[in-house]
Amino acid sequence: MAEHHTASDCKHKASSNAGGSVSGNGRHSSPAGCGGSGGGLSGGLTQPAGWQSLLSFTILFLAWLAGFSSRLFAVIRFESIIHEFDPWFNYRSTHHLSTNGFYEFLNWFDERAWYPLGRIVGGTVYPGLMVTAGLIHYILNLLHVTVHIRDVCVFLAPVFSGLTAVSTFLLTRELWNQGAGLLAACFIAIVPGYISRSVAGSFDNEGIAIFALQFTYYLWVKSVKTGSVFWTIGCCLSYFYMVSAWGGYVFIINLIPLHVFVLLLMQRFSRRLYIAYSTFYIVGLVLSMQIPFVGFQPIRTSEHMAAAGVFALLQAYAFLQYLKDRLTRQEFQTLFFLGVSLAAGVVFLTVIYLTYTGEYAKIHIPIIASVSEHQPTTWVSFFFDLHILVCTFPAGLWFCIKNINDERVFVALYAISAVYFAGVMVRLMLTLTPVVCMLSAIAFSSVFEHYLGDDMKRENPPAEDSSDEDDKRNQGNLYDKAGKVRKHVSEQDRPEEGLGPNIKSIVTMLMLMLLMMFAVHCTWVTSNAYSSPSVVLASYNHDGSRNILDDFREAYYWLRQNTDEHARVMSWWDYGYQIAGMANRTTLVDNNTWNNSHIALVGKAMSSNESAAYEIMKSLDVDYVLIIFGGVIGYSGDDINKFLWMVRIAEGEHPKDIRESDYFTPQGEFRVDKAGSPTLLNCLMYKMSYYRFGEMQLDFRTPPGFDRTRNAEIGNKDIRLKHLEEAFTSEHWLVRIYRVKKQENRQALDHKLRNIAAKQKYTSKKVLPSRFH
Amino acid sequence: MAVFKGFPLNLLFASILLILLLCIQSGGGQKKKENMLAEKVEQMMEWSSRRSVIRMNGDKFRRFVKAPPRNYSVIVMFTALQPQRQCSVCRQANEEYQVLANSWRYSSAFSNKLFFTVVDYDEGADVFQQLNMNSAPTFMHFPAKGKPKRADTFDLQRIGFASEQLAKWIADRTDVQIRVFRPPNYSGTIALALLVSLVGGLLYLRRNNLEFIYNKTGWAMAALCVVFAMTSGQMWNHIRGPPYAHKNPQNGQVSYIHGSSQAQFVAESHIILLLNAAITMGMVLLNEAATSKGDVGKRRIICLVGLGLVVFFFSFLLSIFRSKYHGYPYSFLIK
Repeated sequence: MAEHHTASDCKHKASSNAGGSVSGNGRHSSPAGCGGSGGGLSGGLTQPAGWQSLLSFTILFLAWLAGFSSRLFAVIRFESIIHEFDPWFNYRSTHHLSTNGFYEFLNWFDERAWYPLGRIVGGTVYPGLMVTAGLIHYILNLLHVTVHIRDVCVFLAPVFSGLTAVSTFLLTRELWNQGAGLLAACFIAIVPGYISRSVAGSFDNEGIAIFALQFTYYLWVKSVKTGSVFWTIGCCLSYFYMVSAWGGYVFIINLIPLHVFVLLLMQRFSRRLYIAYSTFYIVGLVLSMQIPFVGFQPIRTSEHMAAAGVFALLQAYAFLQYLKDRLTRQEFQTLFFLGVSLAAGVVFLTVIYLTYTGEYAKIHIPIIASVSEHQPTTWVSFFFDLHILVCTFPAGLWFCIKNINDERVFVALYAISAVYFAGVMVRLMLTLTPVVCMLSAIAFSSVFEHYLGDDMKRENPPAEDSSDEDDKRNQGNLYDKAGKVRKHVSEQDRPEEGLGPNIKSIVTMLMLMLLMMFAVHCTWVTSNAYSSPSVVLASYNHDGSRNILDDFREAYYWLRQNTDEHARVMSWWDYGYQIAGMANRTTLVDNNTWNNSHIALVGKAMSSNESAAYEIMKSLDVDYVLIIFGGVIGYSGDDINKFLWMVRIAEGEHPKDIRESDYFTPQGEFRVDKAGSPTLLNCLMYKMSYYRFGEMQLDFRTPPGFDRTRNAEIGNKDIRLKHLEEAFTSEHWLVRIYRVKKQENRQALDHKLRNIAAKQKYTSKKVLPSRFH
Repeated sequence: MAVFKGFPLNLLFASILLILLLCIQSGGGQKKKENMLAEKVEQMMEWSSRRSVIRMNGDKFRRFVKAPPRNYSVIVMFTALQPQRQCSVCRQANEEYQVLANSWRYSSAFSNKLFFTVVDYDEGADVFQQLNMNSAPTFMHFPAKGKPKRADTFDLQRIGFASEQLAKWIADRTDVQIRVFRPPNYSGTIALALLVSLVGGLLYLRRNNLEFIYNKTGWAMAALCVVFAMTSGQMWNHIRGPPYAHKNPQNGQVSYIHGSSQAQFVAESHIILLLNAAITMGMVLLNEAATSKGDVGKRRIICLVGLGLVVFFFSFLLSIFRSKYHGYPYSFLIK
């Protein structure tokens, strides 16, 4: 099934690629435009515009289809299921939204999470994703298309990837030309850097946020180009959607001011820019503050200050321009110097203030502060996620800077900032991917433009070029319209000698081959690296047949069916969302790690000995404890491997009770076998993981109690639990659930009861009139 | 007779005298001990007022750290800072240690309960032998009372030697809380200011001829440099600090490419940078060949060179990727 799918997918891709590049040639040179697109088309084209839009539409549709279908590996191999951890919370909230309505969702206080604290969900999430899915579900039901909300959630990201492709097409068309736009749409539809966050079932903010990001940028470029309030309001609404969807909106609110600032530096100030940015800043600010989770941050925190600063600067600049027209040269110069020195003084004082109030950058810019906590990116991940695009997009950047204009300044800044952030943090590869697709498309498109057409057609100007020829003549105030055809004087003088059909076809063939390899690579990566749901595991036998390990869901459904509705389940925070989503039981901690001390308390319970842990569990009202144990099947992401983190977090809050060094051997090793430290061998997590494991012989070659994950025979085989009892262990022992015993009744006294003389009880029979109605 | 008579008396007297003397002596001993202690503390205070970390040789170490009358804790760093020892870890650890000691020295809680000292191997090799120590740097805590226990030796291997970790360890062992205060690092600011003033000066000197600012090629080059540096993982190198290349100790072969996809060498990232740049250049040349005016033969050559750059270096890049990412099935031209 998968194989067949791969093949068909490649075919889609290849065809759409070829089509995209062809029509890249298409738009500008009017009669010859659609020339290369196969013999049939070039003959009797009377209305090239019609053909062209049909072709574009078809290519975009195919790109959408290819993008959608290449995200379905997980659904085809397993089933329509929500993946991983965070999506489970999003799914649960969406479910709440669709059953209880929008206002109930906004005011939702979730008492099933963070027991006994609870969580105010409405005010601590970006609601865009849930509202989008809920709205789609609502509309479909209105049309009597009965779909479960889960299916809407599963397929939301693949559908939105198509919208991303369309908005990338629109943006690239504004930046370069239509051909590059189509190529960019094809790239972004299948590039692994984006697929990694948008496969079917990965119901996460990023899936819709990249669409919002690209669309906002498109509308911004459009409004800078036209200077119309209409486009700017559109941009603000799109920005509002982005703010409601993802915390990455900070990228937009810094990149757009940066664009404006650089344009000012380049003396490209214009009325259009003034209108666009002033409107965007004010309306966008007001809209972004409507999201409860964002609240007053846009006027408080430093990430948003750049936007405010540029707004003030733009007003000042416009005011100066106005004065320049009104005053004499002498007056203006005095005023200018006064203004500049005043501004410099203010900036200087601010800088001094900021340096004295602490290390500004370290504390206030989270993206820099968190560098050490996140993985930086190796070149392999760049290549893995972008393949040929990573080597060719600098060429696109080169062309853009060489033919600069207002909006190409934007894409250059976008590329440089995004590549920096992606280098710092591997997670931010996601924001780099769209710009890489656009610039690569520009590079490939310009190559195809020159090599795909016939030599005869070179008499026509080869490229519509909207760059301004030189900056000095331009002086910033004038703006040459995009779409102006540059005069190629020399080419019009004499017909150019072409490179010859042989070279052209060789170049075209090899380029197409590279693109084909890209398509194949994308499919392979998507299929192998980004399509496992991680809720359901699969293992392969020697003969290639597949085993499905469905232990997680087995255990969660056991919890759902066999425990009290209000039972409280303690587990490490990784599994909080899944327990809440699949088992519908109260959890103590979950993936929204807002309360470190609560997490530390759970960590302390896991790393203490059983009786100390029992005290903690009693105080937290724990009914069940759930752990993940991979020793039987060799699953490396289990709780024993995460155990040191529990110890460390517990130590951070309770340094007197938990010490990390106690869990190591004197040689400083973390071992679960006989040489392991006695504290480890007697802590609750160890006992729960290996309870009765010593009786189990997995293999004839290994002794009983052999842990396959850590390749060691466990050190404590005789585990007795006093306060806990085993309630459930899944088929492959992956999930183990223990019941916390209720406190025993007080022991019967073995001596004779005291004889107390029966005393007469005096109780008042009188009832107070006030309480008796 | 009287003598004999007097003997017991004498004896009594003498014994009383003796007892008294003993008393005095022991009292004197006590006093002397106190004196000695006060003297030692005073000496230590004086040293630490001069330098936050007290340098010790063997004698000083035995007298002030090992010898019993003590009411203060001493943290000792055993190290080898002489250049001929070539201990780079020691130097880094020393810097962190100095930061910590200065934080303590200039904090408001500074008292005579805790001192920071250092013993260099070349000044007190006998101390190293005495304590049976064979690795440097080592941090040890000598408590005010009793002998150092196992936990009084700082676990350098596991925790590292950051000042904050040391402070935590000290807080754990002595109940003295030190808030680490790192002196702000001005070198970056100074370098930036220098650069800015240099650029500013250059602009000022050439104020009549500012054409070069409008040179798009220069800006494009700068942008491409940033992009190449990032996509070849220079930031990873900067944060993780990998070795330049790996030399196999058995056969002396030098490998420039790391075998795993999770890591890379500095040399490797440079190779990738060059490959990426070559492919980009190939694309640009292909474009140049088609758009530039001039001799067709020349343009054909440029075109072929561009194509060769793209295709050859891309297949080379792919083969490197393939050697690192095990199980990757595709290759192009080069295996």
